[in-house]
Amino acid sequence: MRTRRLVFGGTAAGLTAVAILLGGALRGSPSARSAPVLSPPPASETTVAQVAKLQAELRANVDDVNALDALGLAYQQRARETGDPTYYTKSDEVLSRALRLAPRDLLATSGLGSLALSRHRFRVALALGRRAHTISPTTARNYGVIGDALVELGRYRAGFQAFDTMARLRPDVSSYSRVAHARVLIGDVRGAFSAWRLALEASLGQGETEAWTRVQISKTAFSVGRLGPALAQAQAALRAFPGYAPAYDALAWAEYGRGRLHAAIAAEQAAVDRIPLPQYVSVLGDLQRTAGLTADARRQYALIGVIQRLLVANGVDTDLETALFDVDHGIRPRASLALARRAQRERPSIDGDDVLAWALERTGHCREALGYSQRALRLGTRDALKLFHRGAIEQCLGHRTAARSWYRRALALNPRFSVLWAPVARRELR
Amino acid sequence: MKRLILLLAVFAALLAPAAASAHPLGNFTINRFSRVEVSGHRLYVLYVLDLAEIPTFQAGNIDARAYAHRIAQNVHLTVAGRPAPLVVLGRALAHPPGAGGLRTTRLEVVLAGPTIAGPARLAYHDANYADRIGWKEVVVGAHTPSRSDELRAYPKDMLSSPLDVTSTTAEVTPGSGPDRPPALSHGKLLEAPDRIADSGFASLVGRSHLSLLVILASLAAAMFWGAAHALSPGHGKTIVTAYLVGQRGTPKHAALLGLIVTATHTVGVFALGLVTLALSQFIVPDRLYPWLNLVSGLLVVGIGASVLRTRWRRRRHHHHHHHHEHPTSFRSLLAVGVSGGLLPCPSALVVLLAAISLHRVAFGLLLIVAFSAGLALSITGVGLAAVVARSAFRRATFEGRLVRLLPAASALVILAAGLAMTLRAVPKVS
Repeated sequence: MRTRRLVFGGTAAGLTAVAILLGGALRGSPSARSAPVLSPPPASETTVAQVAKLQAELRANVDDVNALDALGLAYQQRARETGDPTYYTKSDEVLSRALRLAPRDLLATSGLGSLALSRHRFRVALALGRRAHTISPTTARNYGVIGDALVELGRYRAGFQAFDTMARLRPDVSSYSRVAHARVLIGDVRGAFSAWRLALEASLGQGETEAWTRVQISKTAFSVGRLGPALAQAQAALRAFPGYAPAYDALAWAEYGRGRLHAAIAAEQAAVDRIPLPQYVSVLGDLQRTAGLTADARRQYALIGVIQRLLVANGVDTDLETALFDVDHGIRPRASLALARRAQRERPSIDGDDVLAWALERTGHCREALGYSQRALRLGTRDALKLFHRGAIEQCLGHRTAARSWYRRALALNPRFSVLWAPVARRELR
Repeated sequence: MKRLILLLAVFAALLAPAAASAHPLGNFTINRFSRVEVSGHRLYVLYVLDLAEIPTFQAGNIDARAYAHRIAQNVHLTVAGRPAPLVVLGRALAHPPGAGGLRTTRLEVVLAGPTIAGPARLAYHDANYADRIGWKEVVVGAHTPSRSDELRAYPKDMLSSPLDVTSTTAEVTPGSGPDRPPALSHGKLLEAPDRIADSGFASLVGRSHLSLLVILASLAAAMFWGAAHALSPGHGKTIVTAYLVGQRGTPKHAALLGLIVTATHTVGVFALGLVTLALSQFIVPDRLYPWLNLVSGLLVVGIGASVLRTRWRRRRHHHHHHHHEHPTSFRSLLAVGVSGGLLPCPSALVVLLAAISLHRVAFGLLLIVAFSAGLALSITGVGLAAVVARSAFRRATFEGRLVRLLPAASALVILAAGLAMTLRAVPKVS
């Protein structure tokens, strides 16, 4: 009980009965990552060395379930470190093999669960997490998998309950970062920062894990306009894990927030050079367009089209990020509305609701949009982009005063909350 | 819906671990290979650059000359501690097709270095695309094997990480033969045959636009895959042949068998799909297969035993053999057909589930029926061949013992095949 109060601190608006401890995959994060699933390796043993050691062990005995589990999880860590999705495929093969050898193996089951989270297959993740939970009801990480999946599926009450249990079982980096994210979701930014600080302390010296935590802190800081800390954390993340693409992305946002457009372009370009994720590419295009580099921006937008074709070729046609890109840039409005509807069905979280609301507004279905926008803001999240979308919907419905007040709220959080839309909000308020 | 997606993903995970991504190493890798070799007295480097879809698109129109030049500048060769410049001798460029109708790139460059008079120590370092992820391989010697076959076939082994070698040192001695630079590849070798990872049947349902022509072509392709699939080991061909030969089957029986196989396979796919959907919390579909294997094995044993018993009785009752046909019983025909079609082909299941999640149920069903029909066509074909061969046999002059023994022999073959299937299935059922 003491732990509970300790971690809580804040109030859970609208979810009073639920203990809000942990949050899961982060909006816009490339690989909706659940918190690190590996117990942190000792400082001397890097993931590369660990992988090599386990590979050697398995070559000697390919049926060693424990080694298969460990290697499967280490591959997932490598995927996070390098951004190379090949490691996800390998992790999948290794863990599936472990599961074939030992169908009730705990780590293989929950490992496949966290893999499904990384691949945005939240329903699969939920089922696997639950299965892991029936195998071992007192293992903390299972609650992490279940909770992350529930949160991404918009079932916040149950998700936060899972996190609550998890944190009581085991307070560590994974729990603290989920606490922080959950608090961000319910709009308790102060509480989130105190949890992030705990997470950071627990992750110091762990390379990518520390860098990841710092990137999250940087993004939370940016979301409420605290640009100094946003910049400092992004830079510290790059020091902790040089070449880390998400850190370059966070750096770009911080620089943009400070009005340094060209520094922002350079940083986002660095992120794209390492991993051309659609969300990085589209931000780079938007930044270039704002800077008047129209030809460069067009190339980035065309690249998004290419990435979408590849996603479709790989059987993914419900990607929330690319749906948002299409809606934002007015690309095939009717098709992008359909895409947003599919994406929202796949991922009925506040993010899915928000993208669908925005797609509906852009295509003139403002009454229907309002309902989804209300859902998107139901947790009280202080997300300037969602507030702006709501303002645009109110404006479309002819509610001028309401619209202005939503725009004001968005800009008050961060005057540069979005490359494309912050200027629009400012213009409307004039 | 949830379960569908779950099942689909679990299937993709368990049965098709290599997801259909066109570039085997992922859509945004930049892969590099260098072969340093001595020919006569001169040092040469064969440099291969392989760009996946996204970097190919980012590169735009590739000026092979400029690329070759830049590559030469970023590889560093020292001989006996002194930097040795490399000069471009030749190059070859190709754009093998990748996923989503996009292009990939393969560029080969031959670089000439200095001559060496005697044994020398060389150091080689490739600094091209240092930040980009991908396969990086360096070998020394004209005949040293390359683990990726010079970026043509990447190892898919789950126990190996993508190679990350950019530097090497070696002792080299001048050869006695003439000085011949390494050859550039052309034709198929340049077009990198390993490019398209398996997609086949399962990709049909994901076609983005369905015109009548596309539908017809897809159905034909599905049928073809079904037919080809039946020719892979273990689809009851032996059993069908043995049965028709032994039971004096007619072409009509062979056709009927085909029909039964189609029906069983179609129903089997649907049934397994529905069962695992309903019970996805408890059953990993992967684990159903051993059971189905066992059931078909036992079924075949049953058929073999019953045929053998009938033969035995008839031998005792009629000593003089004669030609009046014993009516092949419909029941045993059914059993043979069922045993041939009972095991749903995994890719057919994936198609069904993909179809449902893409809201193309009717199309998916059609594809599966076509697939099953193809399967049956092959089996009927084999059966017909058996019937024809048998009647030819009967017309041959050496009537007598051999022919009289045929039915019993065929029953034994069926029995043995069934026992083998059962024995193979038993250890996997747990």
